[in-house]
Parts: sequence; C-alpha cells; structure tokens
Amino acid sequence: MKGALELLQRVSAHPDARCWCVAWSPSGTLLASCGGDCAIKIWGKEGDSWECKCVMADGHQRTVRTVAWSPCGKYLASASFDATTCIWKKTNDDFESLTVLEGHENEVKCVTWAPSGNLLATCSRDKSVWIWEVDEEDEYECVSVVNSHTQDVKHVVWHPTQELLASAGYDNKVCIYKEVDDDWECRATLEGHESTVWSLAFDPEGQRLASCSDDRTVKIWKKSTLGDGESDSSDESWKCVCTLSGFHGRTIYDVAWCRLTGALATACGDDGVRVFKEEDPTVDPEQPVFFMSAHLPKAHGQDVNCVSWNPKEAGLLATCSDNGEFAIWKYNSDS
Amino acid sequence: MASHFSGVLKLTDLDDFITPSQACVKPVKVEKKQGRSVAKIQIEDDGSYFQVDQDGQRQKLEKAKITLNDCLACSGCITSAESVLITQQSHEELYRVLRQNKVSSSEQKVVVVSVSPQSRASLAAHYGLSSSEVARRLTSFLKNLGVHHVFDTGFSRSFSLLESQREFLERFRRKEVDKKALPMLASACPGWICYAEKTHGEFILPYISTTRSPQQMMGSLVKGYFASQKGVSPQQIYHVTVMPCYDKKLEASRPDFYLSKYETREVDCVITSGEVLKMLEEENVSLRDVEVAPLDTMFSNVCGEELLGHAGSGSGGYLHHIYKHAAKQLFGVEVDELTYKTIKNKDFQEVTLEKDGQVLLRFAAVYGFRNIQNLVQKLKRGKSQYHFVEVMACPSGSLNGGGQLKPSSDQTNKELLQQVEELYHGERTSVPEQDSRVAELYQSWLESVGKEIARPLLHTQYHAVEKNTNGLSIKW
Repeated sequence: MKGALELLQRVSAHPDARCWCVAWSPSGTLLASCGGDCAIKIWGKEGDSWECKCVMADGHQRTVRTVAWSPCGKYLASASFDATTCIWKKTNDDFESLTVLEGHENEVKCVTWAPSGNLLATCSRDKSVWIWEVDEEDEYECVSVVNSHTQDVKHVVWHPTQELLASAGYDNKVCIYKEVDDDWECRATLEGHESTVWSLAFDPEGQRLASCSDDRTVKIWKKSTLGDGESDSSDESWKCVCTLSGFHGRTIYDVAWCRLTGALATACGDDGVRVFKEEDPTVDPEQPVFFMSAHLPKAHGQDVNCVSWNPKEAGLLATCSDNGEFAIWKYNSDS
Repeated sequence: MASHFSGVLKLTDLDDFITPSQACVKPVKVEKKQGRSVAKIQIEDDGSYFQVDQDGQRQKLEKAKITLNDCLACSGCITSAESVLITQQSHEELYRVLRQNKVSSSEQKVVVVSVSPQSRASLAAHYGLSSSEVARRLTSFLKNLGVHHVFDTGFSRSFSLLESQREFLERFRRKEVDKKALPMLASACPGWICYAEKTHGEFILPYISTTRSPQQMMGSLVKGYFASQKGVSPQQIYHVTVMPCYDKKLEASRPDFYLSKYETREVDCVITSGEVLKMLEEENVSLRDVEVAPLDTMFSNVCGEELLGHAGSGSGGYLHHIYKHAAKQLFGVEVDELTYKTIKNKDFQEVTLEKDGQVLLRFAAVYGFRNIQNLVQKLKRGKSQYHFVEVMACPSGSLNGGGQLKPSSDQTNKELLQQVEELYHGERTSVPEQDSRVAELYQSWLESVGKEIARPLLHTQYHAVEKNTNGLSIKW
C-alpha cells in the first residue's frame, strides 16, 4: 500500500526565526505554534485557509520551545528557553497568562499535560524532570523533581491511560517514571539508541512507545509482562521490539503516533516528512514490522522540527521547520 | 565520583560558591639578568634539578609549591569545586595533623573533635549500640589517635535553639513594621542556605534566621572561649566536626566563618559519619570492641555517663523549641505536645496554635527540594501564612543526610532510617532554657564581652550569589 502526503497550506508563522513546535487543540479546530521569536500564535480555519487568531508575544523573554494543550482545551502551556513555563487560559478567542512556573535552572525544553488534566510535566537542560499538580483554584505546585538523566532532557510525554511518564535526552536514554509512595521515581531506563533521543510517542493503547534519535533510527519499545505473575506492581520492564533504520538521512527530531489510524509520522533534519504503517499486527506482536508508507523529501526548506496528527480528522498532519514555517498536509494511505 | 552533596545543592552548582578565577594567583617575580644567559637544566639521579650556566656554574633549583588554597583560586586545571572541597576536608587531613603533632614538638596543635547527635545515631545503628555508648567509645578511639578533646554539638545546639527563640520573638514583635520579619526561615542547613543565596538572592535572605548553626556555634565556642581559657591562640587549635552530610563542609569554608585576624577557620575540617567509619575500618577497629572513656564535659550536653538530646525533629528541633517558647512568651500558653499535620507529603508538616477559633501561630517543617520550591513560590506570591518554617534540604531531614552510614545488604534505606531515628530519639532530652551550664557560659563569656562582640559570635550573614557565566564553569 503506497500512501502520499498532499500539501494543503504553507504558512510563514514565525518569520526570521525557527518554528519549533506545532500542537493541535483537543477539538482539532485550532493549531498553536511557537518559535525563536519568543512568540506563540494560535491559528484557526476560516473557510479553506488557516488564519492567525491570536498572538502571545509577551509571555517569554526567549525562544518558546514547546506548546501543549490541556486535555479539556481550555489551557495552553508554553515551555521556554527563559527557564519558565507559562500557563495560559483561553477565554473566548483570547489567551491570558494565568501563571508562570519557575524553578528550572535553565532552558525548559518540553511541557506536557497528563490525560487527567491534573498533572503537568516539564523537562530542561538542567537534566531534571519536574512534575506539577494543579488544584481546583488553578494553583500549580511542584510535586516532584526527578534527576535520572545525566544530560539535557529533550522531551517528556505522558502515557495515554495510566499515570506513567516517559522522558528522553541527550544522554541517549529513555526513562519511565511512576509514583511510588508520595514521590515520583524512575522505574525503568531504556537503553539502545546510540545518540541523543529527541522525542517520544506512545501508541493509541499505550502498549508501545516510539522513540526517535540523532542516530537516525526510530525504535519501538514494548512493555514486557514479567513471566511468573510475581511481579512487583512498581516494576516496569520495556524491551525494544523494532528498529526502523536506513530510512532517514539525518537526525530525527520528532515522532508522532496517530490516535485514530495508528500511523507513525517522523520529522527529520534532512527536511523530509515520512509516514510509517504497521504490517498485519497479529502476525507476531513481539516483533512488529513497519513499512514506510509515504515520504516527502523536501517537505520544508530546512530541518523539520515537529510533526503532529490532528486528533479528530484522520490523515490531517501539521509540521513545522527551522525556516519559520508550518505546513498542513493530508495523508492518504492508498493513492 | 558521584556527588555526595544534598539534592538541593547539586542543582545549584557548587562552582558558583567556590569558583575558579581568571587571574593567576601566584604571579612569580623572576629576577632577570642582563645579557644572553643561556642555561641548561640538568636532572640528577635523585630527581633534583640543577641549572648549569655557560661557565659551568651549577645552581640547585627550588621546587615550585602550590597550596590547596591557591589551587582553589586558579583556573588552570579542571578540578571542580566539589573535589577540592572534599580533598581539603577529609579524614586524611585529620590524620595528617595528628601525624604532624607526633613529629614536630614546636608546631603542636590542640585537636578538638565535635560530634553531632545525628552522626552518633548513625554509628549507633551500624554497631547496635546506644547513642551514648557510641559517644564514649568514639571519645576513646579518637583520643588514642591523638585527639585532645571530644565534644558534642548538642551542647552548642542549645545556644542555637535559645538564640533562635530570641530572634523569633524579636521578629514577631516587629512584624507590623517590617514586612520581611516573618516568616522566619531556619538556617541550620547549609544546603538550603546556599540554594537560597544562589537562586533567590536578595528576595529571600531577609527572612532567613541569622542565628548560627550548631556547627558554627561550636566554632565560635572552641576558637573563642575555649582558646582563651586554654591560653592558646585560635590558629593553634585544629577543630574538626563530625556531621551527617557533605554540605557542612561547604558551610565550614564560608568566608564569614574565617577569622582573618588569626588566619584560621572556626571549623577547620568537617568529616562525615561515613568517613569516621572509614577511619575505624582503616584502623581495623570495631566500635563495639573499643574501651569506653569518660565523656569530655566542657562542651557536651551531658548528664553523668549519658549525653542528652533535644526534643523535636531529628534536624535539631527548631520548630519544637521556637513554637513552645513563643506560645508561652507571646500568648501565655503552655504547650505539652505538638500535633503535626501532614500537608502534601511526609516532608511537609504543619503545627498551629489556635485559641477561640483564631490562629495565633502557624509553623511548618519543610524538607526536600520539591517542598522548598513550593514554599518559596508561595512566599514570592505573598501567599505564605507561616510564622516560622524549619527548612531542611534532605527528605526526612538531617538523620537522612548524604554522609550518613549506608544500610547493610539485608536492610532497606527506610528500615535503616527508622532505626537511626529511634536511636536518636532514645536519648533523654534537656531543655535549653533550663540548662544552668549554658546560662553560666552566656554570662561568663558573651555578656562579659559585650553585645557588639557577642553578636557575630552567635549570628551570621548571608550573601546573594551571582550566577556564574564564566565560560570555564559552564557545564554542557
């Protein structure tokens, strides 16, 4: 089955700066972008084209590296190189700064909301991962600070259904965290990548984790069941069940697993965007096989930093690049 | 080497407190001779260097010497502040001083070791002894090595507790006029202090209690009062403290605790409980087998053959003592037992004094980085309702410090900590306000020198630390 990526629109979102991240709202109707111009922009569709609805230019003093929507869609979190994470509240068509989370020593690389909406995780070049809790009065407090990485932490992501967190970093490792007693701890370290792990994505059921790296591979990890049923419920054991190598020409900066179709998209330093699909998964779940379904070599004029599947419309994909643009694509699995 | 310092200190980067500087600290004056003097360097069989002139004249060359102090200030090598600190203060340094004493009769040092109650409890758990039994055996062991006096920082802690009580009342009474008088934040933990100085600077420093920690109170007592009583000058005393963590080494090296007049530190060397164990292992001695010796009573909180502790937490009992004293002095309430309420987690506890539905006092014990974060953020937003907070960098407090003995193979960290806590609280307690020896010392020493001189002996200062953007110190 050969698929294809069709360009729907290209937008110069952050002129003269890198566009680092694009994130769809949970309703799928809005797209948030952020970049090296220290700004966050919200885009909505008017007719056939995506227009800028809102600009938040004063929230940060330095590059905004990641933006993330809360599960309910009412809040947006932005992580910045100015060492802060800003929480924005959406009121009608406007966003106002609710609070600023401080504490990281230096650049915050990523922020992500837990599916419950009560927890938030951030990670930084200071090698730490912070877990925050929000109460009914919109007050944010630090729950834990975990120092499992030995270098810059690039990405954090929550499990889709369980209270489980994963992080990836410059130390080539992936860490899995769980709450034990009243504190968060690293319960598993996934080793195998030969260079910086840039991003992570869980599959729709949360059974598998995809990681992408500077070593130009994507690895698929699966949680292994500890054979004899005597497992300590806190133990986590993940095994690498598949490695996609030879497909990417340069560092892979982002990976996204579509909740609707199960397709896997990657953003690469060779300016290309690729989509992978799984072959019949019932053959051997312990040894999944993925094939490259679509490949657009020059999706952007420069490095592609981020890729994100629309949560409501199957096949709708957003990507963004070092040249300050984002693009909206339609992926068709058979063409 | 994995970092031994508290989690709070690790995150702040030690190098910002003890930083390499750009300029060379040992610029050497070279005598330049006129004319073309070409000399050869000849190395003898014994390793000595000779300079040989054109006319065959030989001159022995002196070895260049660099002290550890110079090393600290030089930017030449990549030694980190952490490893310099640990090398400068180690049990090997103590051995060096003891050896020097045996060898040289002219440069004798009076060696004083002050042991903390937390270290005693840690050793007690390891050897299956009581805290006081550890003290008696440790006294014997150390004296056999050549140490002259073995004291207990529980004694100097009485001073810290009394002074903290006084400071709190002072701050409480001026809280309407001085917005930064309360909450008063405890200052005995150097991990917390260094983090506060570096990360929150001028904002937080006014809240921090200026009362000295038990370690530095002992420094004042030993190099001040004790020195004058013995008729020796402060630099003739080598003062060692035994502490539950490595952060205390940083505290001892603070410039505020350096007596420039005598060119000596108030505490010369801090060794951890773990380093004492190393000493015992190197001597092939088990504390159980060491004979008991009588306790040095001068600066020990002692009653007969037993050492006395203080009520309250394993981190010094500041909350307990200040609370009880304030309740009595400000509101005439006699408190028997404090009721602790767990807030977010076991390292965040609150105690409140209420009367007729009104909250008179609200105190908290906040341990560990994540809770310190939340405390400071609340303070910054003006949402803190506390009057006093006992802040400690380590989860579970000082008894769980990074320098304490590790659990044996069949014991979990949790089990060991519980054991240490039981042994620590197993000591009978004394009430500082009722301690006649402490009162006597206050009278004879502090009151006799007058307020001006007494204040720096009991209090200290804090300094906001600039973030270091020196290219050499950035770690990628």
